[in-house]
Amino acid sequence: MAKEFTYSGCAASAQACAMAKVEVICSYPIRPYTAIMMELVKMIHNGELDAEFVHGEGEHAQFSVVIGASASGARALTGTSGVGMTYAMEVLSPIAGGRYPLQAAVADRALDPPGDFGSEHTDVMTARDQGWIIGWAETPQEVFDNHLINYRVGEDENVMLPQFVCQDGYFVSHIPGKVSVPEQSQVDEFLPPYKPHNPLNPKAPYIHAPQIKPNQGPVIDLQRAQAHLNTPKVIRQAVGEYNQIMGREYSPFLEEYRCEDAEMVIFIMGGHARTCRFAVDALRQKGVKIGMVKIRFVRPWPTDEVAECLSKFKAVGVVETSTSYGGAMKGGNLLHEVRASLYDLPVRPLTTSFMAGLGGEVVSLQGFNYVAETLTKAIAANKVNKYVQWIGFEPDWHEFVEAGG
Amino acid sequence: MSFIVPEERKVAQGVVIPSPVGENTDMITSNWRSQRPYMKDLDKCDMCRNCYIFCPDGCWTVDEENEVVIWNAKYCKGCLVCVTECTEKALDVADELDFDDGVVRLEKSF
Repeated sequence: MAKEFTYSGCAASAQACAMAKVEVICSYPIRPYTAIMMELVKMIHNGELDAEFVHGEGEHAQFSVVIGASASGARALTGTSGVGMTYAMEVLSPIAGGRYPLQAAVADRALDPPGDFGSEHTDVMTARDQGWIIGWAETPQEVFDNHLINYRVGEDENVMLPQFVCQDGYFVSHIPGKVSVPEQSQVDEFLPPYKPHNPLNPKAPYIHAPQIKPNQGPVIDLQRAQAHLNTPKVIRQAVGEYNQIMGREYSPFLEEYRCEDAEMVIFIMGGHARTCRFAVDALRQKGVKIGMVKIRFVRPWPTDEVAECLSKFKAVGVVETSTSYGGAMKGGNLLHEVRASLYDLPVRPLTTSFMAGLGGEVVSLQGFNYVAETLTKAIAANKVNKYVQWIGFEPDWHEFVEAGG
Repeated sequence: MSFIVPEERKVAQGVVIPSPVGENTDMITSNWRSQRPYMKDLDKCDMCRNCYIFCPDGCWTVDEENEVVIWNAKYCKGCLVCVTECTEKALDVADELDFDDGVVRLEKSF
């Protein structure tokens, strides 16, 4: 029988990875993800987890160590936050291209400048083009579940890709929530042991990541692209089985909240979805026909699901929580993907985005109310005024606040 | 979506391939060398093996029986660290152009 515990996101991460029986862990401290490693090292010290724990000399070393571990056939775990993520950047492509299905637990954090401890999705979103599976969790429970689901998906023979299992720093990583922890036997049923392809072995030597010829480069890139094309099907299957074994109700890619008869939706990912639910409830009480769509994986991006889901609404407000300076939409990353997904639809909803939750700022109820107000105006005018609204700084934000919004 | 990769361009997943255990003749990496080390004075060589130890590409091997060091042209990039480290000045530098098989004369890169 599953038991319920109160865990922070970091503790939930550690518990899940221990139950996934990770064999090699490489750590280097940086807030806020460090607490995951603190929990794991305690488990090893107490004899609850049998894993090799390596202290990396930096994030670049961390991600390099787990390549070796994964290449030798171990289920490997590392992780980081913020600028640690960007310091590890060079190693991300070799991990994905070499097809090592290791996992990185990330409690996200703003990049410098200045030295900001706050949550922001830009750290991992900066790495979105390297071939990793990437997704955010909303609660410690979802953090726990995502670790297991991601190992299962990443290690599938048709996938063999590394995974970033992300949670919002502090908002999720350090705020405790109820976590239903399954029996070890249930986890074992869901997650078979890792089967590496041609692991390092002195008796049957293989070369990992040799020098290649230029005309082999496109073929390797094609393999990585093909793996991402294979992944959605594997995610759907894994999430289905996970729900069945653990008694959960996850949708593989998109969760809809109060979207029946909704005219407009807030499109969001990660911890701020928690606040968004309260905002939607309050707005519904006032008669606003609004819902929320939460995305669980940004890589692979669920193009068809996004198009099908969002086509039902008149207007979509994307909450970004990451930056893409100079990009087509002048704000964050998600609106690019959302608009591209909708392009081939015969009738498209109005779409715009909202920069919010940068640097660890809370996305407040007032912020979500402003999203609803902006979308309401857009529906009335049948057009959006801007690609992006910076919450707290727009001229009509100040009018909205003065009017008691 | 499916793709067709021509037979001659196929590579193993993640380029994890059986090790040749020795030289990787599929990947000759010496084609940008402009100078090479050569044994100028064999009498001076005292078999200290510095060339063998310092070469970053494993291009020097030791023939114990004949007490000589042997240079492998296929992987030498001409960094000449062996010449610098040669304690007895037995090794010296020569231009690739001075050799009939100099890499600058190759028709194909590799």
